Amino acid sequence: MSQESSVEALLEEARLNASMPSPAERQRLREAANLSRAQVAAAVGVGRTTVANWETGHSEPTPPGRLEYLKLLKGLAEIYPAIPAAAPEPTADPVAALFTETPTPTPTPAVSAPSAFTGLQTLRGLDGRAIEGDPGPCIRCGVTTTYQSTDGRPLHSGALCQPAGPATAASPAPAQPSAPAPALVSPTPVPVPGRPERRARSAAQAQEETTGLISRAVHAELTRAGGDWDVALKALIKRAIPDVMHLFNETRATARYDYTAYPALPDILKKPSKKDPDQIWEARPRFHHPGYSLRAPGDIKVTALDVNAAYLSALKCWLPIGRLEHSTGTDGVESKRSGVHLITPAPWVHPHLPDPIGDRDEPGALWVTNSTLRLLQRLSGPKYALTDAPVIHESWTSGATENFLDALRKTLSAARETALNEDDTLTLEYVKAMYSKFISTMGESIHNREMVRPDWMHIIHSQAYANLWGKAYKAHQAGLEVISMMGTDELHVTGDWRDVFPEGRGVAQMKIKHGDAKASGEYTVGKVTS
Amino acid sequence: MAGRWMDLGMFNAHGVPGADALGAAIEHMVTGIASPVDTDRGLSARLRYLTKTDAGYEAMDRAGIHVSPRTLMAWLAEERTPNKANRSRLDAAYWDLRRRNVATDLKHRLNNDGRGTRVEINPVDQSGVERRHQRDVASRSIKVRGVWDRAVDAWLDEDLAELDAIWDQIIVDIGSEYDAYSNVSSIGWAA
Repeated sequence: MSQESSVEALLEEARLNASMPSPAERQRLREAANLSRAQVAAAVGVGRTTVANWETGHSEPTPPGRLEYLKLLKGLAEIYPAIPAAAPEPTADPVAALFTETPTPTPTPAVSAPSAFTGLQTLRGLDGRAIEGDPGPCIRCGVTTTYQSTDGRPLHSGALCQPAGPATAASPAPAQPSAPAPALVSPTPVPVPGRPERRARSAAQAQEETTGLISRAVHAELTRAGGDWDVALKALIKRAIPDVMHLFNETRATARYDYTAYPALPDILKKPSKKDPDQIWEARPRFHHPGYSLRAPGDIKVTALDVNAAYLSALKCWLPIGRLEHSTGTDGVESKRSGVHLITPAPWVHPHLPDPIGDRDEPGALWVTNSTLRLLQRLSGPKYALTDAPVIHESWTSGATENFLDALRKTLSAARETALNEDDTLTLEYVKAMYSKFISTMGESIHNREMVRPDWMHIIHSQAYANLWGKAYKAHQAGLEVISMMGTDELHVTGDWRDVFPEGRGVAQMKIKHGDAKASGEYTVGKVTS
Repeated sequence: MAGRWMDLGMFNAHGVPGADALGAAIEHMVTGIASPVDTDRGLSARLRYLTKTDAGYEAMDRAGIHVSPRTLMAWLAEERTPNKANRSRLDAAYWDLRRRNVATDLKHRLNNDGRGTRVEINPVDQSGVERRHQRDVASRSIKVRGVWDRAVDAWLDEDLAELDAIWDQIIVDIGSEYDAYSNVSSIGWAA
């Protein structure tokens, strides 16, 4: 390589460097050309995440790949030039417009006035104060005033008055500029100026800050790992529990209730030993339709469906705030209380629908959580009328709220949705580790000593199962046959499920469950003949 | 015990003395071999832990295990298994030694480089108390510093009087109504 050509190359790079677009513009150019990040990354010779970081502004393009990337951007910018930003319209910002009407001697009125009046100035003395003269009708608004314009006609001081209707009508066309104003073509209506939305903005700011915690953690670990995806993921999963507890405390900063983190637990919630469970029945489903079998001959098509982020959605449930208190009979059962209840459920007589109490073999009374009890009570109500109401013997309850973990749930779902849109698997896995470990360690765990609330863990688990039962019922009502319902998130149905559930990876959507098991993805079963 | 608590439970309130709760909460921090001594795994793990150091032999002495070296070797080699009485003595010796060994770590965690640990104190359970005798006592959360070395030593020696004195010292920081927390339903902390 000769001396001259390397100088040329450096100059070329400097030239490209000077015209480097902003991070947002980089993304716009790529999206305008309908290119994926992976395509760009392959062409430039870096990882997909690196391109994403360049586009979000987390990092600046560095070699290797920097020169190639700059060349690509320059070429794209020639094909898709940036649309010049619309000139700011005086009325575009209503809040700003309000403030421009303060009585300062501003030459431009806040509202667009007919051009005939725009040159008018208030007659002022040498000291800068407006000079008063004989009263007369203002040439702008027609209301009597003593102030004058520089040409001697009556005019309100500072020309701040609203132009009168007839005056505007007298000069029709010239008021409108030749090009249509952007505000007129904009599909989003200009919000009506009211009070400044201080509260909503601070809430949005707080939301922004908590969401920032997640993206900052991902970015920090990725930087520390030097871009190594697996190492970063391992580090993120390791710090998921302290991070989610920090996030939880952040969302509790302005909360109304002070919860009890270390309550005295009733014996039913104490584990007899490290490995034995306590006495709470979480109603985990394990349902298989007795009329269908994998072994029976037949070709009925079944789809295994998967609920996305079932435990994340289950964070919305009635959680007891304080220490659980004992009550007998139905005393503890109120809409604003939650906890665990000793009940005897009514027999379930619908073999084609999963039992909401789960796969319970032994008869008799059992301790269930408030989530299960609410489901049973709904099903015994007039709307469903599927079963009789359970008999409630005793309860351990406390005053409850449904919004307790809602801020945390919203923050995590927002981060999850953003990660899905950006195809950011690292953040997705991190968020998943955060909510699942939060729930699994909120009871007695040596990995999370910030709280000992096994009751919450049970209630959230059974809320997830109750939500799944709701989905099974919805499928059944839409004419699909529920073949099986298992675990937290698995629902196998016949027929065209896409008419019933939206497909996708969002929390309100369902996706096909693939796996090694025989009954996964799409498979066929036969009818059992007996 | 500080204060005017005369007779806990007279009006049907439920709770435990603060010293007991303090000891239980420190005890709760101790982890060790999870398998019970009745399993092969749990037994051999305990035997190995106890025969690693001189302190282990001293712990066995204290627990009343006086067997010949031959028997001990046979236990370790799993040629013979200790009888039920000796198994429970081994278990006691193991946990005794384990507590002594983790005490330093517990002090370190609780002192938190002098910053101390925030303790949540939940008042006695008054749900069984007649309405007119109920008092408005809220849950409190206070930062406790400077007493943890003494507290862990007292817990190790099972010195209830010392734990009681420490608990009185802790609750004085609550303020004028510290008396109400002489007995509690539970306490807890993250350390």
